[in-house]
Amino acid sequence: MTAIIEARQLQKHYGGPLAVRDVSFSVTEGEFLSLLGASGSGKTTTLRMIAGLETPTAGSVLFRGQDITHVPAAQRDMRMVFQDFALFPNLTVWNNVAFGLRLKINRGRVTHEEIKTRVGRYLETVMLSGHAQKLPHQLSGGQRQRVSLARALVTDPPVVLFDEPLGSLDASMRKSMQLELKRLHRELRKTFIYVTHDQEEAMGLSDRVAVLQDGCLLQIAPPNDIYFRPNSAEVARFVGAANVLEGIVESKGDGVAVVRLAGNARVEARDNTALAAVGDSVTVMLRAEQLRLSPAAPGTDGFVARVTERLFLGEKVRYELCVHGSNTRLSALDTGDQGGFQLGDDLSVSADPRHVRIIGQSPPQRSAP
Amino acid sequence: MRDLGSRRIAWSLGWSVIAFLYAPLLVMAVFSFNDSDFTGLPFLGFTWRWYSMLLADDRLLESVWNSVYVALGVVGLSTLFGLPAAIALDRFEFPGKRWFGRLVLLPIVLPGVITGVALLLFYMAMHLRLSLYTIMLGQGTGLMCVTITEVTARLRQMGHSVEEAARTMGANEWEVFQKVTLPGVLPALIGAMLISFSISFDEIAVTYLLTGRQNTLPMTLWSLLRREATPEVNAVSTLVIVASVLLIVFGTWLSRRGSGEPVVSPG
Repeated sequence: MTAIIEARQLQKHYGGPLAVRDVSFSVTEGEFLSLLGASGSGKTTTLRMIAGLETPTAGSVLFRGQDITHVPAAQRDMRMVFQDFALFPNLTVWNNVAFGLRLKINRGRVTHEEIKTRVGRYLETVMLSGHAQKLPHQLSGGQRQRVSLARALVTDPPVVLFDEPLGSLDASMRKSMQLELKRLHRELRKTFIYVTHDQEEAMGLSDRVAVLQDGCLLQIAPPNDIYFRPNSAEVARFVGAANVLEGIVESKGDGVAVVRLAGNARVEARDNTALAAVGDSVTVMLRAEQLRLSPAAPGTDGFVARVTERLFLGEKVRYELCVHGSNTRLSALDTGDQGGFQLGDDLSVSADPRHVRIIGQSPPQRSAP
Repeated sequence: MRDLGSRRIAWSLGWSVIAFLYAPLLVMAVFSFNDSDFTGLPFLGFTWRWYSMLLADDRLLESVWNSVYVALGVVGLSTLFGLPAAIALDRFEFPGKRWFGRLVLLPIVLPGVITGVALLLFYMAMHLRLSLYTIMLGQGTGLMCVTITEVTARLRQMGHSVEEAARTMGANEWEVFQKVTLPGVLPALIGAMLISFSISFDEIAVTYLLTGRQNTLPMTLWSLLRREATPEVNAVSTLVIVASVLLIVFGTWLSRRGSGEPVVSPG
């Protein structure tokens, strides 16, 4: 697999702290890569540097091995889809989509006939053939974003960049647009680089997810790995409902490490145990949906925690728990088969050791090697 | 529901404001058709006399054309300098940008007399002869701010992404300006042109100081009124009002069309 886009130690400085610091990654041809992070994480700035809309303070952007860091946006073979759609308000849907091709006609690279067939075909692809003569303000949010999608795809660019394209749509529209994007990516086999702050969206759509925070790239991996094998507490906290807790390794053996948490609660960890030795302070991750809950009774597995909040979420119930004898707080998701617990109930909490992961050693009391 | 009493008060207050604003104009329009040599009652009958007299008055007509000429020149000047300044202020970063922004907007708060006196001294120092062109320059420097504020506001509202989208689609800077920026700011630009035109048309403070041998309409009216308020003045004023209303209606229609908003709300 060859890299179509490569970011090498990209840095962006606006004055103040670095907006993007030393971000490096490569994207293979036809891949769907998401840049995931909270606002201010540097994901959009990174995307804009790839698009050529921002100039990096340091580092370089490569396209098929060629340095394009200082090539203007107009001469890069990429198209961008914006959160606010960025449609030309004075042009009809048809003319919006034809805009890029018409620029090519001036340079003698496309004929009128081609424009007609291609615009028609892409309007059909995004199911807007019947709206060709409308102006953008006559369309719904979802339709507008489909126009900007058609406008980006019609010139057949190898790379399409998305800057939170579904951010201004309502929840149901977002869901159907996600399906459409996934379908388009499968059918067109173009390289998509997609910026979002929605972890579900990032994991659902992409082949790989890059998690950014404070301008740093924390981890880049397939969604499955990001979810189950985060490389840091930050990634674990950002992706899915994870409980990230501090503890001390009490004993180790046979691939299982016993970690003592605050309040003398003990969990067994089987994942990534090589990282820690007995006596180390470590950070462990317990996924909220993998906690097993049962009414507390003598002889049951696990540790005791009290229900401090109960949130009914429809397909699941979220419990906020407080571990006995400490103020450690946990979230647990119950998909419905564990019985209804009430506020104030004492529960016995346990977790399958395979799903308890040691993420790393706790920074404050890093033990000697 | 509020009680009837306060509603009645609100209505009467509202209508008195309208009356206060428009009754004098209406009175003036009515008297422009009065067949009497004096502006005032009684109403002696309907006549077009004052309008035909107006059309025969070369001095008055010439001053109307002078005013139109100056106003068009002012619109040209303020667009020529205001549009690039607005784009520079919103789209580019350059050293001293904040000071530039404040400096170009300063004339809007300066009293016209000050601008006029300053320019007059300047022209005298440069040995420039006063003419319609010196008036144009004097008004244009002040009214450029209108274009800058209107267009900058529109550019802010547009955001940058439309232009960026065009750029990523391969448009060069000229194409971006011509196909995206200009159509985007056109409604605001037309609005600013209309405002500049109408302010320039009846401007008197700067004009009074900078005028040469030729007079604009407000100056001519002023000198006519100092002698006597003839119904001819009523007639020319009525025509100016009608023209202004038509201009505003046309401008509003044009800017709605340009901004992509529905001119008539869809069924």
